[in-house]
Amino acid sequence: METRLGYAGGAGVDGVKLWPAYLCFIIFGVLIPFSRPEYKVTTVIYSLIIAVVVGLLAVNLLILAFNSGNAELRQTDGGFAREAVGTGMLFMIPFTALAIMALALLGWNAIMPFASAAITTAAATAGTEAMKRGAQGVKNVMIPTLVAIVLSTVWMMLTSILP
Amino acid sequence: MNTAAPMDIPRWKTALNMMINPGEVIKTQMTKIPWPYSVMVSGLSFTLFFLQTGLDLLRNGQVGVSTVILITMLGLLYGTAGIALLAVMVWALSQAEQRGYTLEWAISTFALGYSATFVYALSGLIFSLAFGWKTAVAFGVTGVLWALRPTLYTIKQMSGERVAFSIAMTTLCGAILLVGWAVLGKFAG
Repeated sequence: METRLGYAGGAGVDGVKLWPAYLCFIIFGVLIPFSRPEYKVTTVIYSLIIAVVVGLLAVNLLILAFNSGNAELRQTDGGFAREAVGTGMLFMIPFTALAIMALALLGWNAIMPFASAAITTAAATAGTEAMKRGAQGVKNVMIPTLVAIVLSTVWMMLTSILP
Repeated sequence: MNTAAPMDIPRWKTALNMMINPGEVIKTQMTKIPWPYSVMVSGLSFTLFFLQTGLDLLRNGQVGVSTVILITMLGLLYGTAGIALLAVMVWALSQAEQRGYTLEWAISTFALGYSATFVYALSGLIFSLAFGWKTAVAFGVTGVLWALRPTLYTIKQMSGERVAFSIAMTTLCGAILLVGWAVLGKFAG
């Protein structure tokens, strides 16, 4: 029986859950068009596609980076990268919740700073989670942070040219 | 609590490291930072953030100079007493005392996390004064969002790595800060 419910090590028992991360990306995809003068269905569809692609890239690039940078650890614990990314990306949730609150309660329509902070924080946290599982070196935090900055910049640029 | 002997790192470097690698700073360097120093960092951060809010309202013609000074003073109060109270609330809810974390450590670590807000607020103020831009949301709110990363690591550390609790508390802290700023800005304006 799982007795450490809510603790970092708990996710390994039932498998890694990546859907909360993808859900956060989808929510950002829906919220971002609110910064446009007019909220159109076509804009939402394009925004959703971009958000899902960025989400898929973020998750898979991070797993790839952790696996390729920690070959020895991968041999002893094949699922460490996926577990680290799954736990780290959960930390997009506070920023997603705050973005919803900012839009609904405070009437702010600038969603991109929330998305940018979310992806960067989650990626860096995934790095520390990987280190907790035995990955060696600061590269495990620096590379994910760099990946997240590049992805959030691309995301920002793509959303700026939405129809 | 991590008892590893910290190296003699200048305080300003620790404050900057808090933005880049908060996990490491929280684990190894915070025992050397006195809480008044950290509270000064968060106090300055919110003073500059609220000053920009006042300047934005002044440019809109919504308030006068005296109100800008009042809003700035509210920022100082928010960044010192407000952040300290928030730290006390999280420290109590996470039962950090049982893990060996003192109240002083919690306040100091929580407050130093706002060094990112300070950098954003200072940059925003430069743009506000030099180019007349409205910078409170673009720089100020962004700065508060970037401070949530150290906040998250602090809560994780205090709560014994409880992921769900850390996520919930970080969301609560962010919501309190952003709603509080919006309400104070409206109240003062």
